[in-house]
Amino acid sequence: MDELLEQFLIEGPEQVQQAGEALLALEARPEDAALVDQAFRAIHTLKGSVGLFDLPAMAEVLHVAEDLLGARRDGRLTLSRAATDVLIAATGQTERWLDALRVTGGALPDDAGDVARALSQRLRGFLVPGTPVAGADNGRVEAALSDTHWVESLFREQASDAARHSVVTALRYTPDAGCYFRGEDPIALARAVPDLLAFRVFRRPDAPPASDAYDPYACDLVVELLSAAPVEAVKVPFRFMPDQIQVLSWSPPSPGPSIGPSPTGLEGPRGLRVDASRVDTLVALVDELVVAKNALADLAARMADGLAPDVAARIMGDRQAMLDRLIGRLHRTVTDIRLVPVLPLLRRFPRMVREMAAAIGKEADLVVDGQEVQADKGIVEGLFEPLTHLLRNAVDHGVEPAAERVAAGKPERARIGLTVGREGDRMVIEVTDDGRGMDPDRIRRTAAARGVVPAATLAELPDDQVLDLVFRPGFSTAEAVTVLSGRGVGMDAVRAAVGRLGGGVGLRSTVGAGTTVRLTLPMNLVLTKVLVVSVGDDRYGLPLDGVIETVRVTRDRVLPIRAGRAFVLRDTAVPLLALSDLLDQPADDVREGEAVRAVIVRVDGALLAVEVGTFLGRHDVVLRPMAGLLAAMPGLLGTTLLGDGGLLMVLDLPGLIAALHRDGDRLGGGRP
Amino acid sequence: MTIIVDGPLIRLAGNCGAEDAEILLSRLQEAPESQIDVSASRHLHGAVVQVFLALRPTVRGMAEDVFLRDWVIPCLAAPP
Repeated sequence: MDELLEQFLIEGPEQVQQAGEALLALEARPEDAALVDQAFRAIHTLKGSVGLFDLPAMAEVLHVAEDLLGARRDGRLTLSRAATDVLIAATGQTERWLDALRVTGGALPDDAGDVARALSQRLRGFLVPGTPVAGADNGRVEAALSDTHWVESLFREQASDAARHSVVTALRYTPDAGCYFRGEDPIALARAVPDLLAFRVFRRPDAPPASDAYDPYACDLVVELLSAAPVEAVKVPFRFMPDQIQVLSWSPPSPGPSIGPSPTGLEGPRGLRVDASRVDTLVALVDELVVAKNALADLAARMADGLAPDVAARIMGDRQAMLDRLIGRLHRTVTDIRLVPVLPLLRRFPRMVREMAAAIGKEADLVVDGQEVQADKGIVEGLFEPLTHLLRNAVDHGVEPAAERVAAGKPERARIGLTVGREGDRMVIEVTDDGRGMDPDRIRRTAAARGVVPAATLAELPDDQVLDLVFRPGFSTAEAVTVLSGRGVGMDAVRAAVGRLGGGVGLRSTVGAGTTVRLTLPMNLVLTKVLVVSVGDDRYGLPLDGVIETVRVTRDRVLPIRAGRAFVLRDTAVPLLALSDLLDQPADDVREGEAVRAVIVRVDGALLAVEVGTFLGRHDVVLRPMAGLLAAMPGLLGTTLLGDGGLLMVLDLPGLIAALHRDGDRLGGGRP
Repeated sequence: MTIIVDGPLIRLAGNCGAEDAEILLSRLQEAPESQIDVSASRHLHGAVVQVFLALRPTVRGMAEDVFLRDWVIPCLAAPP
C-alpha cells in the first residue's frame, strides 16, 4: 500500500466522523451555519483526498454531497430532513468504502459504481428540485421537498405571532387518501399540536373537482402549521404517520429595522429653519425693549430728583404696562419661531407602516390626513416615538391577518388612519385602525390575572374605563400581548411619552370594528395663562384659554332647577356648578349680599358656569404636566410654582366635570 | 343530530364527525346556495372540512371552540 493511501486511510475516517457528527447535529439545529460549515469542510477534504486515487465512484458521491452542502452554506437552498438523511447515508457509505480500501489495499467493491450512482442521484434530487428521485427506499425522501417556500408563505399569510420566536417548528401533513378509514382525522390531529402559531388547511393541488361524484371520504387535505413548540412535541400527534408529515425547524426572518423605534433623521444636531421675517420682528422688538429700559432709567432719575410718589407710581404703571406688552410680543414671536408644521412628520409614517406590515405578512395602508397644524418643535419631535409605537401596535395587533379580515367581511387590506387637527388650543392626533378592536372582557381577565386592579373594582368598572387599564404599567407584558390582541404593548410608555409633552392619551374601541387612540397635546410647551381663583383657603389655576368669561351674579338670580342650580346669562340658562363640589371640598361661607363669582366654560359645546370663591388674578406660568400617580388623576392639567413659592395646581375643568359624570350624577339635573 | 337544515341555512352543531360529511355534501349539492352556520360547532372532522373546501359554501358565524374559530374556519371562509 502506498504512503499516500495509508495517510488517507488514517485521515479519511476522521473526516467522515466530523461530517457525520455535524450532519446529525443539523437535524436538531438545521439553521446552525457552523454545523453546515463543519460538514462541508470535512466532505470537501475527503473529496480532495479521493481525487488523488483512481476511485471514481467514491469521488462522484463526495462531489455531489459537497455541492449540496455548498449550496446550503451559500444559502441557495435549505436542507430538508430527508436531504440530511441522504447526506448521512453518503458519509456512511464513504466510511464503508474506506474500510473496503483498507482491506483490499486500494480497490472498491464491484457494486460501488451502482451504489454511487443511486446515492448521487438522490443527492442531486435535492440540489435540483424536481429531479426524479430513484431508489426512494425512504418514503419521506419523496414527500419532502427540499424547499421551505410553503413555510415562508404560511408565515407571510398569518403568522405575525411567529415573528416573536427565533425558531418555530413547521409541519406539513399530507394524509393519504384512505386515512379516514383508519379512523384518522387530520383536523383533530392538528388540534392536538401545542402552541399553534399559524395553521392552514387546503385541498391538494391535484384534488378531484367537486363534481357530483365527489367522494368526501377520499382525503384530499393538506394541513400546514407553525408551532412555537419544539419539533419533538409537534410530531407527537403524528407519531403513527411519520411518512405523511414533513417537519422542520425554521427561523422566521428577523423583522426589518423599521419595525423598531428608529427615529433616524431625528438624531444629531437639532437645527431649526427660521423665516427671516421672524428674525426681523425679533430685532425690532429688542429695539423697543431698549427704549423701554431707557424710559425706566429716566423715571429712576426723576424719582431721585424728588418726583412725587403718586406721579411716580402712575408713570411706573404706564412703563410696566408697556414692558408687559413688549415681553408678551417677544414671547409670542420666540414661540412662533419654534412652531413647525405637524403634517410633514406624519407623512413619514406610511412607508414605515407598509414595511412593518410586510415584515409580518400583513397588508395595511396608512392614510394621513388633517389640518395644517403647527406645534412647538419639541412636541413634534417628541411625537415620533409614541406614534411609531401606536402604529406598530395597530399593524401588529389591531389588524387581523388577511384571512380573518375576509372572514369578518372586511377588505383584505387594512386601513390605518393618522389624522391631526386642533381643538381649541390643543392639537389632537388620532390613530385609527379597522382591525379587531379590543375586548373589554379580555382586558378585565388580563387585568385580574396580572393583579393590575383588585377584582372587585374591576367588575364595577364600566367598559370604557376598562380600556384605560391597558395604560397601566404592569399590564403590558409579552404574555399579555397574545392574550389581549396585544394592545398592551408599550401603551404605558406611550402615555408616559405623551405626558412628558404635556398631553394625554385616550382610547376607544369597538370589538370587531377597530380601535382609535387619541392623543391630545398642547401646541407649545412654553407659557400658559392661568386665572388664579380661591376655593376655601386653597388656590387653583384655571387655564385662561378655557375660560370664556368671568361673571358676578347676584344670589337672587341663581335659581334652583331640580337638584342643581342655574342662572340666566344674556337670555341663556347656564347651569351652575361649584368648584368646591367638583373638588370635594367644603364650600366658602356664603356672605349675605355677596355676588356669586363664576367662570363660564364650554363643555361638550354647552355653556357651564363654575362657582369659585374669589378671583385672585391672572398669571403666565410654565405648566408642568403631572407625573407618576397624579398623572392618572382626571381633571388635573399640571402644577406650577407661584411667585411666592407656593405650588399652584392647574385644573382641567372639562376633565373634572367629565370625571364627575362618570362618578355618578352628583351634577344633579342642572344641565340644559 | 349535528346537521340542522333550516331553509337556506345549514347549522352545524356539536362534534361534526365523518358521517356528517356525506349529509352535508348531498345537501350542498341539492341546494348550492345554502349558507352554513358554524357557530354551534365544536369540532369539524377532516371529511367535513374537505366538503367545505371543495364546494366553498358561504360560512356564517364564529364557533365557540377556539381552535375552530381561530384557525380552521378562517381557512373555510377564505377564497380558494
